[in-house]
Amino acid sequence: MALLEIFDPKAAPRPIGIDLGTTNSLVARVRDGKPVVINDCNAVALVPSVVHYDPRGRVIVGVDAQRLAVDFPRETIVSVKRFMGRGADDPETRRLGPYEFVEPKTPEEAKSVRFKVRDRAVTPVEVSAEILRVLRSLAEDELRSVGGAVITVPAYFDDAQRQATKDAGKLAGLDVLRLLNEPTAAALAYGLEKQKNGLFAVYDLGGGTFDVTILLLDDGVFQVRSTGGDSALGGDDMDRALAERLLQELGVPAENRPRELVRLALDTARKIKHGLTENDRVEAEIEVPGGTRKLAVTRDEFEALIKPIVERTGVACRRALRDAGIAADELDGVILVGGSTRVPYVRQYVEKLFGKPPLCDLDPEEVVALGAAIQADILAGSKERADEVLLLDVLPLSLGLETMGGVVEKILPRNTTIPAGARQTFTTYADNQTGFDLHIVQGERELAVDCRSLARFVLKGIPPMPAGLARLEVTFRVDADGLLNVTAKELTTGVEQKVEVKPSYGLTDEEVEAMLMAALDHGEEDLEKRQLIEARVEAERVVLATKKALVADADLLEGDEERTRIDEALAGLEEAIRGSRAAIIRGRTEVLDDVTHGWAGRRMDRAIAKAIAGKDVAAIESTVAQARGVEAHLAEHAGQSAPEGDASGTGS
Amino acid sequence: MIDPFQTLGVEARFDLDPDDLARRHRDLSRALHPDRYAGAPAAERRLSLSRAIEVNDAFRVLKDPIRRAEALLRRAGVPVGETAEPKPSPDLLMEMMERREELGDARRRKDLAAVHALADAIRLREREVLASMGRQFAASDPDTTKLAAVLPELGELRYLRRFLDEASAIEEELSS
Repeated sequence: MALLEIFDPKAAPRPIGIDLGTTNSLVARVRDGKPVVINDCNAVALVPSVVHYDPRGRVIVGVDAQRLAVDFPRETIVSVKRFMGRGADDPETRRLGPYEFVEPKTPEEAKSVRFKVRDRAVTPVEVSAEILRVLRSLAEDELRSVGGAVITVPAYFDDAQRQATKDAGKLAGLDVLRLLNEPTAAALAYGLEKQKNGLFAVYDLGGGTFDVTILLLDDGVFQVRSTGGDSALGGDDMDRALAERLLQELGVPAENRPRELVRLALDTARKIKHGLTENDRVEAEIEVPGGTRKLAVTRDEFEALIKPIVERTGVACRRALRDAGIAADELDGVILVGGSTRVPYVRQYVEKLFGKPPLCDLDPEEVVALGAAIQADILAGSKERADEVLLLDVLPLSLGLETMGGVVEKILPRNTTIPAGARQTFTTYADNQTGFDLHIVQGERELAVDCRSLARFVLKGIPPMPAGLARLEVTFRVDADGLLNVTAKELTTGVEQKVEVKPSYGLTDEEVEAMLMAALDHGEEDLEKRQLIEARVEAERVVLATKKALVADADLLEGDEERTRIDEALAGLEEAIRGSRAAIIRGRTEVLDDVTHGWAGRRMDRAIAKAIAGKDVAAIESTVAQARGVEAHLAEHAGQSAPEGDASGTGS
Repeated sequence: MIDPFQTLGVEARFDLDPDDLARRHRDLSRALHPDRYAGAPAAERRLSLSRAIEVNDAFRVLKDPIRRAEALLRRAGVPVGETAEPKPSPDLLMEMMERREELGDARRRKDLAAVHALADAIRLREREVLASMGRQFAASDPDTTKLAAVLPELGELRYLRRFLDEASAIEEELSS
């Protein structure tokens, strides 16, 4: 199809949706109103999430990297997603494969794992960015120009993991419109396809993560009721369990295992697992020092091995149902997502757990990317869908502050609809205390040490006073990406001291910027060019939006004076766009922002009034419809048949 | 303190229909959600974020009967919060202590059925208290000076809620 599109050097940028998976990644876009995956030149959409660093400093991604994984296990990073946002001291990072790590020199460095590959230190963010770059260029081959991107993340990802994903997108040169939860994306793809309303569970068992989400679909609104899962549970665990059995069978002692052999056993295990989806028994050969060994595994044996892994998903499912306040039999359907749901035992388990056969008419490995493409299309301003569809997602894990005794005070509980905000006041516990330590954590456990530490900071300069008198107000805000922003204010003295902290996962904004510069061929010069382009794009968007609003909502302007100020700011910005200085464009964009602020508020009030009024019209209509139903009922009892038109409207 | 009733544009009363409330929240979200302003100037995006947060927060308050009651009382100038309210009756304290002991016993015996039964009984009681509070709020309608009479029941509701939270944590622990 792409070949038929006429080449246009000034092609409008098109939005894309990316499923950045543990095992495979893929990119999709909306074409003629329908989401489709983007294939490579071999008609394959799935890009294995494998990155190889070769001796000449080149980076190889995908199938070719996968082939090199066996021979170069330390130079080839697989399942990098499991390392996202993880610290160097995280026990999980040691468990996850044959890698070497750079020992952190500072506490700041320890916040992110760094792989040691061929004397280079690379972070999971950089590795993920390599995968995203490949997906971007796939999309560019088809679309010429890529606009914004929606990248999906497991619903269960914490703040650090989300932040890391967003940075990877930035590093790959993508304008990340939104981070979208994978199950929500899947439901979006299904919901639009099937036009269904009701309560759904999305059971997403991928390579490295498990998510379950309960959501309500109601006339285009996808409202997440609850979400849960395990960010370290997936098909990889099945491979590991099977590989462990294979290694035992080969007589390899657990203490002394060559990394190459471990990788080989994992590879063989994965092939056997795939084979067992169709067959009851699979044979495989494995090269060991001293020759080739033949191994056979039956489906029963495999199922016994993975039973404890699959059953772990049940715990999260029951909790999600409880959080949503519903019973399993109230669900209208169960959607399967993720390659691991191809395993027959998983399907049987899901059917037993929810008491109904799961829906699987969309490819479980494509459905997330398809949903992401739809969301990208909506965010980029696709008119027909934007009015229909809205995603209301939730915070996956509670956010809180450590208080006295290491106990966590929850500020925003899990499953709060986002965007969300909350404010809490604290006080000093010692006389003349002038600083206040704030430790922000995420998780469900009672003690801070058992939760994920997101950030620590000290609010200084509190005037000396007796204990309990100072009043410290801490505000949490979570945006639509699920990313947290914290501000703290000291209220007592009337002097507002504000400290703003974005939780970090070990890479500062400057580091990301530096990496971005290094990735570009001509460093600084390219960066300037890029900043100019970005500033222009944003400015043009603002100009367009303002002009549109001037037509639609001119009546909300307060007098000619406001109009004049806006017109002047508009003219100034348009002039700056024609120039070539990013700083001036940005400055004048801000000026326009400032002078339109009050008017924007009034326009939003009008949107709210409309939303509420629309509701009232609907309520009147439903009353009228009910009245008509009564008439029909009466007519029927009078021996006449009800008009047919009335009954058809409520058909399923 | 922002008035959650005003934010959602609903009448300030205790017996709000949860379905109506959810629908109102959804309609407002359609108009305000940051997704609808993804292409808008930065100032508008910020404004939409703040407004959406307000709407979500108001919905969270009004959905929860305890926080809804607190919001109504606060509007009428009645101080709320456990330190400001009258102390719970010794009878209630005694009873809750006994129930919690039973709950602890059931947990030690790993008797999930007993936990369910205890929770069900408390849930029934919660419903009764809610109904009674609804009547009291309605009766005090224009005369808000009577509102303080709701406080003991609000206190009881908090105890019941804490019990149910604990029960559901135990249910989760025993069924996993």
